[in-house]
Amino acid sequence: MPAQVFSLDRPLPEGVRDLLFADAAAWRELESTLRQTWTAWGYREIILPAFEYADTLATDVGAEIDAEMYRFFDRQGRTLALRPDMTIPTARVVGTRLYDQPLPLRIAYVGSVFRYEPPRAGRQHEFGQAGVELIGAAGREADAESVALAVAGLRAAGLPTFRITVGHVGFFRGLLNALALPEKLAGQVRRAVDRKAEAELAALLVEAGSVAPAARAALLGLPRLTGGVETFAAARPLCLNARMTNALNDMETVAELLDAYGVADVVTYDLAEVRDLDYYTGITFEGFAPGLGFNLVSGGRYDDLIGHFGPPQPAVGWALTLDRILLARELQGVIQAEPAADVLLGAATCPACLRWAAAARARGLQVEVDPLGLAPDELWRSACARGIPRVVIHDRDQGLVVRNAAGQRTVVADDWEEVLRWRNR
Amino acid sequence: MAEPLTIALPKGRLTDGALALLARAGYPVPSNGDNGRKLVLEGADRRLRFIMAKPSDVPIFVEYGAADLGIAGLDVVREAERDVYEPLRLPFGYCRLVVAGKADRPDRPLRLERSPRVATKFPRLTEAFFRRRGLAPELIVMSGSVELAPLVALADLIVDLVQTGTTLRENGLTELRVVLESQAVLIANRASYRLRAGEVRALIDALAANGMCKA
Repeated sequence: MPAQVFSLDRPLPEGVRDLLFADAAAWRELESTLRQTWTAWGYREIILPAFEYADTLATDVGAEIDAEMYRFFDRQGRTLALRPDMTIPTARVVGTRLYDQPLPLRIAYVGSVFRYEPPRAGRQHEFGQAGVELIGAAGREADAESVALAVAGLRAAGLPTFRITVGHVGFFRGLLNALALPEKLAGQVRRAVDRKAEAELAALLVEAGSVAPAARAALLGLPRLTGGVETFAAARPLCLNARMTNALNDMETVAELLDAYGVADVVTYDLAEVRDLDYYTGITFEGFAPGLGFNLVSGGRYDDLIGHFGPPQPAVGWALTLDRILLARELQGVIQAEPAADVLLGAATCPACLRWAAAARARGLQVEVDPLGLAPDELWRSACARGIPRVVIHDRDQGLVVRNAAGQRTVVADDWEEVLRWRNR
Repeated sequence: MAEPLTIALPKGRLTDGALALLARAGYPVPSNGDNGRKLVLEGADRRLRFIMAKPSDVPIFVEYGAADLGIAGLDVVREAERDVYEPLRLPFGYCRLVVAGKADRPDRPLRLERSPRVATKFPRLTEAFFRRRGLAPELIVMSGSVELAPLVALADLIVDLVQTGTTLRENGLTELRVVLESQAVLIANRASYRLRAGEVRALIDALAANGMCKA
């Protein structure tokens, strides 16, 4: 082996990476699987710009993502930003361009998004997102469709084990109304619920002083309102106002529909889920897989967003992180093979061989033609080194000869039945 | 047989308390004879697997899902700022994270300080504590014997954990402010909390029930 030469003077900036062949193939296959899935559900893809005005992208995103945006200036000194997600640009498109189109709109997208966040669990500063938005439908049917499509996407992605947890911001918002805590304490309660810090809730209630017993019981019971559909029965007696009851009714109907969609086995419910409380307006959901502490997919209903850009529209949708799906799949033992051609073909100067190659490619075979004029043994070594299972050469006397690990024999040039079995897919 | 739940335990100050609590809650734990060399230990009834980790690494194991659960000091958890659930405070490992300085130092409000030079193992919490008071501290991040820093004029102040205050007193230091009241906490991986909800809930409930008895 010659000495390895590494170049140290061309580093990549922090947060970006190259994906080489097997990873790139897995990535593109995942994209194409997801595209097939959402297309089958009637969603149509749009392609969005990678950057736009920063104040557009900063609409309603919350302080965290706002702080994580890549901002820069155009030549007039206006602030631009790389998109930190695709929902905001989609909402802009709907609000400014599609506002009079027949509803509902079903929109899908896939592409890179950019955030200055600590690189963690398969997510760099640039990472791949794919998502769907169902716009102009306010009901529980739309909520259920969105969750069911997320499950369909993860199943199609070939992820053996995962769970989707569905929550509803209305339940906790209603509870906060009933508790009527001072703002600071309400914030602490919310953070404690977000961390599932059960014991802290009791301490915070002591601090709050006089709280109605029913509201106290509801708050202390909240962390246990997680699990299967039996959760709803446990939550029912804790409802203190119409808001909580409505949220619970929403969840129950969504659960029934998810059963009908055939996805109930991977869905659980969590009425104590309070992430992104300010952004979402109805159901919320997150998907998890074993061994990965970060969500693979997250989504929910956000009826207030599109109104920032045009006539208000109810909307529900989700986005998943491609990098994390691939990582989760790998953690569960799904190995992506290194891509290799089906055939390495010798004799680039032989017209009959090139005609055979064209015919084979037209039938879906991956054919590499040797451009170096290698001798038969060298050709076979070259094929082995690159994982190509067979070589075909043209012999003046015998015609086409195929060689693989088992040995060497002639093939009839137009015996496509045999050749089609070589397709490695 | 299902995979055991993996729990990351901190090696050191909290180890005994954590093992004792788990034992009271009915989970067979590795004997202390194992402690120190083997880093991954199986519980006798295969319900739990134990990872013996450096305390500050426990939240990382849990966030990434290398462990489903972990026990760590609240100080470590707050400093690490990892995305984990904290279902339970545990009844041991009580201590406080304090600002301390030389005992002969005049105790005036911190907000009147210029730009204190602070030695600590908790840079994030220290920075936040001083920033909230309008101060820009100069942080000196250390990994051991923080109380040495003021004595050799490396720092004006330290932020460090105190249990009884003996170490501070012996080094001529005095406690000025409390940054955080700390104790052991149970933390949980967000995915495991969902995917293994039954087992995780059983452990939380068992620890909660046995935590109460002790006090």
